[in-house]
Amino acid sequence: MPTIITCFKWVIDEAYIRRGSSGDLDFSAVDYKISDYDRNAIEEAVKLKAVHGGTVASLTVGVPEATKGIKDSLSRGPDKAFFAADASFNNLEPSQTASLLAAVIRSFITPYDLILCGEGSSDLYTQQVGPRLAEILQIPSISFVQKVELKDGKVVAERRVEEGVEVVEAPLPALVTVLPDINVPRIPGVKDTLMASKKPVVTIKKEDLPPFPAPCLETVEMKAAKMDRSCEKFGTDAAEIARFVDVLRKKALI
Amino acid sequence: MSGIWIIAEKKEHALELLTIGRVLAAQMETKLSAFLWKDQNVPEDYIACGADEIMLAAPGSEGQSLDAFIPVIAAEAENNHPDAILFAATARCRDLAARVASRMNTGLCSSCTSVAYDAADRTIKMERLAYGGAAVQKVICKTRPVMVTIPPGTFEQAKAEAGRTGIQRELSTPAPSVLKVIEKKTKVRETKDITESRVIVAVGRGFDKKEDLDLARKLACALGGEIGCTRPISEENHWLPEELCIGLSGVQVKPDFYLGLGVSGQVQHATGIRQAKVVAAVNKDENAPIFSVADFGIVGNLYDVVPKLLEALKRV
Ligand SMILES: Cc1cc2nc3c(=O)[nH]c(=O)nc-3n(C[C@H](O)[C@H](O)[C@H](O)COP(=O)(O)OP(=O)(O)OC[C@H]3O[C@@H](n4cnc5c(N)ncnc54)[C@H](O)[C@@H]3O)c2cc1C
Repeated sequence: MPTIITCFKWVIDEAYIRRGSSGDLDFSAVDYKISDYDRNAIEEAVKLKAVHGGTVASLTVGVPEATKGIKDSLSRGPDKAFFAADASFNNLEPSQTASLLAAVIRSFITPYDLILCGEGSSDLYTQQVGPRLAEILQIPSISFVQKVELKDGKVVAERRVEEGVEVVEAPLPALVTVLPDINVPRIPGVKDTLMASKKPVVTIKKEDLPPFPAPCLETVEMKAAKMDRSCEKFGTDAAEIARFVDVLRKKALI
Repeated sequence: MSGIWIIAEKKEHALELLTIGRVLAAQMETKLSAFLWKDQNVPEDYIACGADEIMLAAPGSEGQSLDAFIPVIAAEAENNHPDAILFAATARCRDLAARVASRMNTGLCSSCTSVAYDAADRTIKMERLAYGGAAVQKVICKTRPVMVTIPPGTFEQAKAEAGRTGIQRELSTPAPSVLKVIEKKTKVRETKDITESRVIVAVGRGFDKKEDLDLARKLACALGGEIGCTRPISEENHWLPEELCIGLSGVQVKPDFYLGLGVSGQVQHATGIRQAKVVAAVNKDENAPIFSVADFGIVGNLYDVVPKLLEALKRV
């Protein structure tokens, strides 16, 4: 029966980021969430378990506050969680995240059969951590997957490419990154949240892991993207619709 | 030794990378090399369009996956020390780039919208979108080679110049990958390329059912445009093909007029319409984020507003 690891990132909910007056990013009102597509990865892991049995472990590397995310992940169905936590695990670059995840998996969750990740994180969306992690672990990886099955020691996945869909097969253990349309992630209920608090969590300290590499990329600037629009509002009665159409006509759009 | 390398599966993408590759190579006073799969493309074409050197890779055999080439590319890079490797940001190449970067312990800047050499501090500065498009992130790579993926369409295709010469060399044939492509389901493209459309009516989850999209089609027709959509419409509902999805994971559009119907305007979508000249929207929620990125917004039910708009347009 398979052991499935599902990796997730605890991210800033980008919907709460504001543009500061000087074009900087205002994070003062932000909330955090499990990155959107990582929720699909967790859901898929739990669905595969429903078919094949086995265990599902959720895994994240992050700052100690991400413990909220660990609880959230467990309320979505995994049996246990692994949490590599340290205040310095903040603003990690993809090469560092992959390296830390690989270290945790090697030391604490081996052997395993399948690793699932989201296609990309909703904050930086570099789409690298999955394939980088597979490269470090020296296992095959299949990205941008819309359907996944386990069959006779293999993973068979439909990956989406520009020309259409490729059905790809790889021996286990393997890593798969999933697209949002692979499933509809559940919304945990009160019971799920209560059950989650009883599930085992293995917390791993920085000292328990080999030193992680220095970042390769350095962010030299991060500024709010500009969207200057006139933001004029219209109603729906005949006069307002006529005024709207008139504006379009004046702009030579119709 | 040094150089700029480009890697793309398709010729049209390779030519786009040659354009920026040429600029970087000239500024950095180095040569431009293109990695090419032997079966698909003609090396001379790449040389005519700017490559100084062609690295010819053995054609992938039937069912082979690109990842078979990870060791070949990494070994070549280790021997030749390129300054930068530019990949086309297509599904397979994004994957390949991440694995090669990992193998070489170097940084990879994904989906760059701009790549520029800064002679002052001799770094390559790259820009990309972050936080769903709410921010522009500028990065440098402190390790070598600097690796980059560049979305198709970011640069113009390089044009052939008469009299250009270059060298060609063959790379070793890789061992087959354990990853096997067992079936390819090619889709036929049924829609127009909306990146060139002058008017776009975008549909979002405000539509109750697929049949209702006719309303949007009628409006697009009346305005002389095409329809586009949000990601949930193409990816989750499968009501429209993916190439019509506008935004971070879809296409960037630059019409004169964009009209969103039942589109909430979350940043991942809004970032795809940044270059539209005029943005308008119909949404029943007056607090929908689309209104803060729109020039003109109608607060109302699209099922009520669109027929009225169609009527009013008839009278124009
Ligand atoms: C990493 C990442 C990448 C993404 N990439 C993209 C991308 O490229 N493109 C993209 O579009 N999204 C993308 N998304 C998803 C994005 O965050 C939003 O979820 C999506 O754009 C919302 O689509 P929507 O507006 O159709 O649906 P909703 O957000 O559900 O909005 C529907 C809107 O319709 C309005 N409405 C409902 N009924 C009516 C009615 N009768 N009349 C008028 N208005 C009505 C509602 O008020 C609401 O505002 C991405 C997300 C992530 C995390």
